[in-house]
Amino acid sequence: MPEIARSEYLEELATLEASALGGLDLVNVALARTMEAVENQDVELAQVVIADDDRIDGRYLEVHQSLITLLATQSPVATDLRLISALLHVLKSIERMGDQCVNVCKVIPLTGNYAPVDPRMIELIVKMGGHTKTLITQAKRAFEERDVEMARDLVRRDDAVDALNRECFHLALEIGDDTDRREWAMTMLLAARAIERVGDNAVDIGEQVAFVVTGLFREFEDASHPS
Amino acid sequence: MLGAATKRSAAGEGEPMAADQPTGATSSEPVTKATRGAKTIEVRDVDLYYGDFHAVEGVTMTIAPNKVTALIGSSGCGKTTFLRSLNRMHELTPRARVEGHVSLDGEDVYAKGVDPVEVRRLIGMVFQQPNPFPTMSIYDNVAAGLNLNSSRVPKSRKDEVVERALRGAHLWEEVKDRLDKPGSSLSGGQQQRLCIARATAVEPEVLLMDEPCSALDPLATLAIEDLISELKNRYTIVIVTHNMQQAARASDVTAFFNLDATGKPGHLVEVGATDQMFTNPTEKQTEDYVSGRFG
Repeated sequence: MPEIARSEYLEELATLEASALGGLDLVNVALARTMEAVENQDVELAQVVIADDDRIDGRYLEVHQSLITLLATQSPVATDLRLISALLHVLKSIERMGDQCVNVCKVIPLTGNYAPVDPRMIELIVKMGGHTKTLITQAKRAFEERDVEMARDLVRRDDAVDALNRECFHLALEIGDDTDRREWAMTMLLAARAIERVGDNAVDIGEQVAFVVTGLFREFEDASHPS
Repeated sequence: MLGAATKRSAAGEGEPMAADQPTGATSSEPVTKATRGAKTIEVRDVDLYYGDFHAVEGVTMTIAPNKVTALIGSSGCGKTTFLRSLNRMHELTPRARVEGHVSLDGEDVYAKGVDPVEVRRLIGMVFQQPNPFPTMSIYDNVAAGLNLNSSRVPKSRKDEVVERALRGAHLWEEVKDRLDKPGSSLSGGQQQRLCIARATAVEPEVLLMDEPCSALDPLATLAIEDLISELKNRYTIVIVTHNMQQAARASDVTAFFNLDATGKPGHLVEVGATDQMFTNPTEKQTEDYVSGRFG
């Protein structure tokens, strides 16, 4: 059987995969800066994250367009088609993760220069950020290695992020009667919620890993009908 | 249905055929009952030979009625040979023979006494190159099968059949005012639709198509594909194609044939729903072929 490797097409697909997954590195940088900005109430660093989101959006647009071109010109099927479909989903998740970092950074100035900070809440959010960073790294590795078990393990790790988010909520309920403190706590809950969503996006990427490998799309956990 | 042979078919059947022997696992009686509609083709352990050359090995599959089944595979893997065995055209090649069992709704196509001409009427064929009879008019091209199959068909009946077949092939509106013009005066796409009309005029139950669009431009190809999609409501359709996208677009079921090396017999690697075959095939060979990794 003569071998016709379609080498250029395959190289391009591999390059686009690397470029799409490289977006997760950009998100990790944005998340680390976001956590630093939260921890230090650093408005300037928050502005940097907001401005830098253009890089993540640019990556999304560039790779998305190239994948569409590949679909139009190369008629990919089977695993290639599933990979391209998955990458389009992954790109969307990456773009949303970047936006969630922006959402967090946008609320930092709202807390004011002399915010009535509760260090316990900050600690919880920074901890969420750390866990989420690990989730993102693991999602990227699971995709690169087509490792469904590693992808499924994201659910377990994401449960820890969800638990921290609930802790933030309970802390906000008990923050006291002072209006400024309550306002600050509500604002920080928005930040915690955004980080929690970043974790969910990492799990979504894990689901795409399973789709590429098995050809079946199943949510790892049904949020509408939890068991 | 599959009438007993009363005469041998026309030219090309000079060689004695192993196919005249019931070689399959089952051997049905020649059938005489007349029923209309798409039929199921059952293929069991079919081996095909050209003399000593073993061209196709051990094919077992069911071809469902009212569905388009695409046969895909690289050149030389035996898909056309297999297609031609379904209506006993394989045996027209000198020293060609068939082993195994092919049945149409349970009736053995190769049973002793079955007339191959009748088999070919019930299982019509459309070829790669549009091949209208060049000196015959459009009308006579469509009526040719009728003339061959029954000597006395009233003109009014013939008119009716020709119009119905041309309408069914989406050609009537284009040719109704020039039915007396030669078939060869039509464009390539029109000629292929004329051939489809000719094949359907004799009311077959199965249509075999051997790369029916390979000589056509993209628009004519899409017109034929639309037609195929409509024809499957009435017929069982089997199509050989090298165009992967055509198989993906136009078929419900895809069967992938391959051969291990040049000179080895082709075999059926995998058959399944087309969407499954093109998104998540079971066999790596299929994956590699449909993805263009080899071919």
